[in-house]
Amino acid sequence: MASYSSRVTADIERWTVSGLIDASTAEALRRDVEANDRRSLSFGSVLAMMAALLFGAAILIFVAANWEAIPRLVRVSALFAVILAGYVGGAVLKNRGHPAIGEALWIVAAAAFGGGIALVGQMYHLAGDESSAVLTWCAGTALAAAMLRSSPLTVAAVGIAVGWLVMNLLGGFRLFGQSDFPHLYVAMAVVLFLLSYWTQSRPARHLILLSLILYAALFAADHDMLQVSVALAVVSAALFAAAALAPGPVERIVQLGGRLPLHALIGFLTGMAMIQFAVADDGRASAGFAVASAVALAGIAAAIVLAGRESRGLRWIAYLGFAFELVIVYLVTMQTMLGTAGFFLAAAIILAILAFVIIRIEKRWAAPAAKGTEP
Amino acid sequence: MTAKKLLASALVLALLQIGFLGWIIAGRAAILRNGTEVLLKVEPVDPRDLLRGDYVFLSYEISRIPASLIANVPAGQASSDDGPVTVRLGKDADGFWRAKSAWLGKAPDVPANGEVDIAGHLSAGWNFTHDTTLSADYGIERFYLPEGEGMAIQQDMRVRPFGVRVAVAADGRAQIKALMDGDRMLFEEPLY
Repeated sequence: MASYSSRVTADIERWTVSGLIDASTAEALRRDVEANDRRSLSFGSVLAMMAALLFGAAILIFVAANWEAIPRLVRVSALFAVILAGYVGGAVLKNRGHPAIGEALWIVAAAAFGGGIALVGQMYHLAGDESSAVLTWCAGTALAAAMLRSSPLTVAAVGIAVGWLVMNLLGGFRLFGQSDFPHLYVAMAVVLFLLSYWTQSRPARHLILLSLILYAALFAADHDMLQVSVALAVVSAALFAAAALAPGPVERIVQLGGRLPLHALIGFLTGMAMIQFAVADDGRASAGFAVASAVALAGIAAAIVLAGRESRGLRWIAYLGFAFELVIVYLVTMQTMLGTAGFFLAAAIILAILAFVIIRIEKRWAAPAAKGTEP
Repeated sequence: MTAKKLLASALVLALLQIGFLGWIIAGRAAILRNGTEVLLKVEPVDPRDLLRGDYVFLSYEISRIPASLIANVPAGQASSDDGPVTVRLGKDADGFWRAKSAWLGKAPDVPANGEVDIAGHLSAGWNFTHDTTLSADYGIERFYLPEGEGMAIQQDMRVRPFGVRVAVAADGRAQIKALMDGDRMLFEEPLY
């Protein structure tokens, strides 16, 4: 039943002992095997992680219930025991070759730390500052991720940070009428992004990039600021261009498995949509709206031409974005229905010409190269 | 990371997180043990918190301070900045402690015998110029109750005067000690 990774790990152990490779090489190999093994997530590890999340939720809600039948001191001690047993037990299991269960136990321990913060707040009736309680929890989880080099813990820390951002904006923390926008999130995202390199957590990096798009969109919506939307679209376009034109160096820096163009396209489309909403007043289009729509459609076409060949995901996002653009342009009428029809007609003709040219070019390229490439 | 190193990291991490929580508990227990005890009069507001179950939101008499009580408002400043406020409490004949004077930031001198300084927080935008009251908070505005008991107590608070015994540390930090329904003690907090 030994998987490829556990066999290689055993081999690495043997090679180290027999002196074929030194300790640092062994360590590098082991981490590489581990990082690439994650792609083939087994059912068991998925279920273990779900069980861990349920355990965590059970702990948090048990604390919230404030059940008097168990004295507080016992509750605190129980949480301390879960923290200790979770981290240490997880490390033991990981060392014995059960990484999935080990990581799951760490998640339970991190949840128990969050439960501990909530319980202390409850025991001493601490009022007000849930925001800093969640921040403390996030910092504790990030510290755990760093010390144990754990990808799931990194993702958990990012998840808590995103939760903090969303709760801040939904007003959950605005008890005393603070209305400052949580710009701290950008700093948290940068720190967690750097941490994700150390913990080799590609999922965390994906999540952070998506959350930053969410942050920018919420910021633009909250402050009604066109500049933020424009900045989001421009930065996304620049990232896309960089990723499409120099895939090698960019991938070496961001290490996203070649998915940076996807995030950049999502960011670009989000930014453009925010701009379109902003410049279209009362459902009637202005000249600015026509320009923004044209830029968005051109961006989608460019994205497909530049990077659509390699990535099916990117093609689908581009199609979705395209459909969205058609709907929004249809809804925000261009002065008159005739205007909208004219805009669609112009766009259709441009796209048709583009398609014709690209098909010709692809044929010419395909002829000598032929065979083997993705259609 | 070798097996031994990972185990050591896990152990250190667990002790760090437990130590952090323990440190907060110890700090709060110290206020309960050593702080000066004052009795504050309360009015209820509203309950329920997602993560922490039932609590009642407490609003105190001293949550509203007359602007005229603040001794050191800078000349020409019309409204408050976000920042700390120190309120000096003194005991009245009915047993409740009430605000006697207040300062933005720290108090200029130490409180006399029978007086206590409590540290609060004033949010921005309160008007200094007219005969108004400012709303301050002290980090003691919640009382957590066992699940299901919040509504009943809140109902009672509407009809009877409730009190809260609060321990105030020398640096002004406050910590709830007990919830009183008139003279009857409803909940008393153990140190831990």
